[in-house]
Amino acid sequence: MLRRVSIMIEKVKEILAEELSLELDEINDDSDIREDLGADSLDMVQLVMSLEDEFDLEIENEEIQSVTTVKGIVEFINKKRG
Amino acid sequence: MIFQRGKEVLGTEFPVIQGAMAWISESTLAAAVSEAGGLGVIAAGNAPFSWVKEEISKAREMTKKPLCVNVMLLSPYAEEVALGLVEEDVEFIITGAGNPGKYMAAWKGAGKKVMPVVPSTALAIRMEKSGADALIAEGTEAGGHIGEIATMALIPQIVDAVSIPVFAAGGIGDARGTLAAWMLGAEGIQVGTRFLLAHECQVHPKYKEKIKKAKDIDTMVTGRPTGHPVRVLKNALAREFMKKERAGASVEELEELGAGALNLAATEGDTKRGSFMSGQIAGLLSEEQSCKEIIQDLYIGAVELFAAKCKEADNG
Repeated sequence: MLRRVSIMIEKVKEILAEELSLELDEINDDSDIREDLGADSLDMVQLVMSLEDEFDLEIENEEIQSVTTVKGIVEFINKKRG
Repeated sequence: MIFQRGKEVLGTEFPVIQGAMAWISESTLAAAVSEAGGLGVIAAGNAPFSWVKEEISKAREMTKKPLCVNVMLLSPYAEEVALGLVEEDVEFIITGAGNPGKYMAAWKGAGKKVMPVVPSTALAIRMEKSGADALIAEGTEAGGHIGEIATMALIPQIVDAVSIPVFAAGGIGDARGTLAAWMLGAEGIQVGTRFLLAHECQVHPKYKEKIKKAKDIDTMVTGRPTGHPVRVLKNALAREFMKKERAGASVEELEELGAGALNLAATEGDTKRGSFMSGQIAGLLSEEQSCKEIIQDLYIGAVELFAAKCKEADNG
């Protein structure tokens, strides 16, 4: 289980690096996506689409508004998957 | 025929949408545009639903042709306006300044055609997926709330990303702009600034004067630090805004400075304290005309220009 979570965290970091034009070492597990990584509302739309593709999910934009950190994204995805 | 799909989705004579301008595009202007064969748009702006409802019924007394309301999603009344429109006699809903995803089902269920304004391909793809009938891709040349990408770069990228019709907005003010939009793959246009100079536009005469006097370099963008950039004509208020922004003023402080400023410009013509939203194309515009003349110049002018260009090409 823990191993799966850490693989997911790495995957989410890769997506964030790609979508926000960041280097991987600029992103920590607890980085705040908006405050620390500078994602604006259009970046969030792009991010949601990449997460949907990668994890085969349907995500509403409103659902992800309360998610703030990299870890938070992974928890959110796991919850969605049930 | 040029703009065929745009005309089909609108069901109008011309593929021309009048851009929403808060405090400015009310029932008189919207009805005049629709009567002239375009799509007239009532701007909900920051107004409560009761105002929007009143304007719709006034416009309905003036025209039976299709009408539209633009829902500004940053408005404190966005939700009441969005849900209220379900029961109203308008065929189209345009949304601006955000993602209208959560209202789509209710609107589609009521048979409304929905056309979100999008500033990026990602939002365009998402809106198509949630059932949008068409999109308005608005470049940063536009007035009022704007995105970062210029029309020239934005339109072809969005056109390639979706299969629903795309209307181009931002920087279009004459037949050349209209034809250029078609060349970029757009199926129609949305024009705001030029309609400020329509006889039927009720905005304060001083606002019209400022548009007529404006040169190419006379707009600026305020509000970038708040995350909601707005293009306005330069004046004392705009300069004070910039100064405060550079000094690192808080979002609250900036919002306080801007509060009510658009109304001051639109209804009182206060050239110092008003916020005169305008697109970069203002510098091209100098003539007051009827909505009919404007729409015909934009569209028929483009058709004629296209024929002339084809002839030019044939002549080697």
